[in-house]
Amino acid sequence: MSPSTRHEFQSRPSAARRWESAALWLFRTATYVILICGALVFGNIVFKGSKTVFTTTAPFINVPFFTEAPESLYVFDYQGQKREMGDREFRAFKATHPEAKDIKAESYVYSAGGIFPCIVGTVLLVLGSMIIALTLGVSAAVYLSEYAKQGRAVTLIRLAILNLAGVPSIVFGLFGLGLFVIYLDWNVSLLAGWFTLAFMVLPVVITASEESLKAVPKGFREGSLALGATKWQTIRKNVLPYALPGILTSSILGIARVAGETAPIMFTAAYVVRDKLPWEGLTSVSDFFFQGVMALPYHIYVVSSKIPQNEYTERVQYGTAFVFLVIVALIATCSIVLRNKLRNRYKW
Amino acid sequence: METPRPTSQSDFLVNKKRIRVLGLSLDDATKFFFGGNAVVSIIVLALITYFLFQEGIGFFGQNHRNLLTYRQAGLEYVDFIRTQESGHIALTRYLSDLRLRQYNYYVAEQKMSPAAANQALVKFDDFAAQYGDAVEPIRGMVSDLTEQATAIKTKFLIAEDKKTERQQLLVAGKINEAAAVKIESVDFAAELHILTGVLPVYKQTSAEFAKKLDASLAVAPRLTTPELMARLDRFNQLTHDYLATFPATTRSLETWDYTRPVPWYQAISAFLFGREWLTASFWQDWYGIVPLLMGSVMVSFVALVIAVPLGVGAAIYINQIASSREQRIIKPSIEFISAFPSVVLGFFGIAVLGQSLRWLSQQTWLAWVPGFPFSERLNILTAGCLLALIAVPTIFTLAEDALQNVPKAFKEASFALGATRLQTIIKIVVPASLSGIISAVLLGLGRVIGETMVVLLCAGNRIAIPDFTAGLAVVTQPVHTMTGIIAQEMGEVVRGSIHYRALFVVGIVLFFLSLGINFIAQKIVRKYRISIG
Repeated sequence: MSPSTRHEFQSRPSAARRWESAALWLFRTATYVILICGALVFGNIVFKGSKTVFTTTAPFINVPFFTEAPESLYVFDYQGQKREMGDREFRAFKATHPEAKDIKAESYVYSAGGIFPCIVGTVLLVLGSMIIALTLGVSAAVYLSEYAKQGRAVTLIRLAILNLAGVPSIVFGLFGLGLFVIYLDWNVSLLAGWFTLAFMVLPVVITASEESLKAVPKGFREGSLALGATKWQTIRKNVLPYALPGILTSSILGIARVAGETAPIMFTAAYVVRDKLPWEGLTSVSDFFFQGVMALPYHIYVVSSKIPQNEYTERVQYGTAFVFLVIVALIATCSIVLRNKLRNRYKW
Repeated sequence: METPRPTSQSDFLVNKKRIRVLGLSLDDATKFFFGGNAVVSIIVLALITYFLFQEGIGFFGQNHRNLLTYRQAGLEYVDFIRTQESGHIALTRYLSDLRLRQYNYYVAEQKMSPAAANQALVKFDDFAAQYGDAVEPIRGMVSDLTEQATAIKTKFLIAEDKKTERQQLLVAGKINEAAAVKIESVDFAAELHILTGVLPVYKQTSAEFAKKLDASLAVAPRLTTPELMARLDRFNQLTHDYLATFPATTRSLETWDYTRPVPWYQAISAFLFGREWLTASFWQDWYGIVPLLMGSVMVSFVALVIAVPLGVGAAIYINQIASSREQRIIKPSIEFISAFPSVVLGFFGIAVLGQSLRWLSQQTWLAWVPGFPFSERLNILTAGCLLALIAVPTIFTLAEDALQNVPKAFKEASFALGATRLQTIIKIVVPASLSGIISAVLLGLGRVIGETMVVLLCAGNRIAIPDFTAGLAVVTQPVHTMTGIIAQEMGEVVRGSIHYRALFVVGIVLFFLSLGINFIAQKIVRKYRISIG
């Protein structure tokens, strides 16, 4: 601004003012650095992963990647051409081409095929653990906000919840290994994974539910009680229905956390590789609960640490990471958007 | 609630039958059901503690036996001499470094051809060879003794195995089979006689070794620059220091006694202060948590150094400076970052960040940065950067909450006194919410120190205490962490073995560390909360 247009009450430039704007810019830079870093990570995975997940021809989505199980990839020269084949295809190729019998092929484990069993496993793990966590968590929250009177027991419960929230996920994994896998002899199984993950998100669910219950105005309860309803009737008819949307949306964040964790399922539920899908080869219903599964996060760990980085393995690495990141990000976005909407909707 | 007496029941107009099971009405039952669920959190916390200890506590007994075997089988005895040998190895390494410097000097400064440079170094090579060969007798001795001690240890371990086998048979009631198990008891005194018998030979060899070193130092050739000469002098000094340790080694060998008991507390102190985590070795396994703890601490430290300014700065910006439209966009975006799965971040570190950082470090215009260039793609810095991204959302959200809780009146009063925006932020708002910010940082620390996948994938997984003599460059070294070691080794160990239990003890340490951090964070919030009066 040139001096001629300056009017009388405008503040004059001074050293202090320059310092101030410099400092404010510093804070602004910090904020945007965070956002840029996040965007870089997200962008890199999405950009490179989309090459695996999407195709240029209809249906534009790499269907086999979503519907097949992981396989080894074989890369070899055949009649001067570089060929890449999955395990089954390669065997079929060898059978039909007798001259290619002793062909030398480089093999990369898990680099062909798809990630269907991993997606199934992750979905099963998330569903089961969230059912357990929601049952336990919502009930606990109802007790804490509706029934409990201030006392030592409640203080103790709150302290336990607070501390449980800070326990590292790998310690939950050790705990699951010690209690479920070894002591209860469930082995590496869905059930062990469910309970381990459920206990891990329990604090998140309890805190979120309690907040939503607290947000229901006192008048709702008092009105119902005044009409002669019992406490349980009041809670069932006049508190829970209004708190439920809030409980569910906040708990979605818990789902994102459950889906994203690797350490707790490493020793309790996840297999590196398993050829059967969870519903195949069951002899009884209980078999379903006592089987290990493949899971997306564990698969990412396996493919990124156990196989070398090169152009062949990169596809499955980035593809899996992309699918996983998008799933988790979608869940998280849902939770954040829904919560903001809810905040605006309910104003008592 | 009063229950109406049965006789007066007809007096009421509205009558409701209450179903009672075990003396509980439906309402009471629901209450207890909910209460029971709330207690689950306490139970889970108790169970975690219980099972960690149940699996882990046996470690100390096993470690004690491990240390006892180390002494009784004479491994400790051999290690005295081995230490002497490895001291010499370190010195020869110094010498070859010196040769490399001199060679570089010849080639780079005096423009000699490599052949000519090597020619000029012949004298030095002679000296180095003489110095290096002096240790041979000692080395031969160590390898002989190692074999003998290993044999004793193996014999002892087999005997122990047989003992447990017999015990198991006895428990199973198979007395005859138990009697058939032959146990060769190990007579340590006799077996160790071979070991301790070499002492006179050792004394002589050691004296000769010292003499040879001294003699070779005398023929050390002169080097060309003052700087290199100073290094050579330093080398002389180091050798003299090294020679001065010989009598102590001899003394420890003389006074060594395999019957000296290993105090019980050593099983604990060897774990807590042990500087080596060495498993599945043919010689002796060590379970010392220090390298892992240092790794965790270093990685978390780097992460916090990056995350605290960014997280707190962003919180201040969003809460105090940003327009409401910026707030509406940025806050959810940062929350969104917190949903990134850690394993994906770890993969990003392996695939992109590690390489990019290494590439950056090899740029000539960045050569002044300490530690640059580095060759290890996965190191403390790589893991720390990614962990910072995990810690930032936690720190940001909690710090923003703390800033939000500062009463508006504080700010208004400050403005009314004529303070600028920056002055108000720095002198009023931040100090008023400092307790909240500190606890946000602590909770961020708790999140980072318990993080597994990123450090497992990106910290380099080398079990060693970082070399702090490197100054700031220490952040470019690979480390292993407590969380990482559990995740990596738990899948491969035998259940109930000492290694398995050691991993559980690491878990216990981690558990209490995070509880402690949590506790301090809560304490700070409660103690220094400003009263809005």
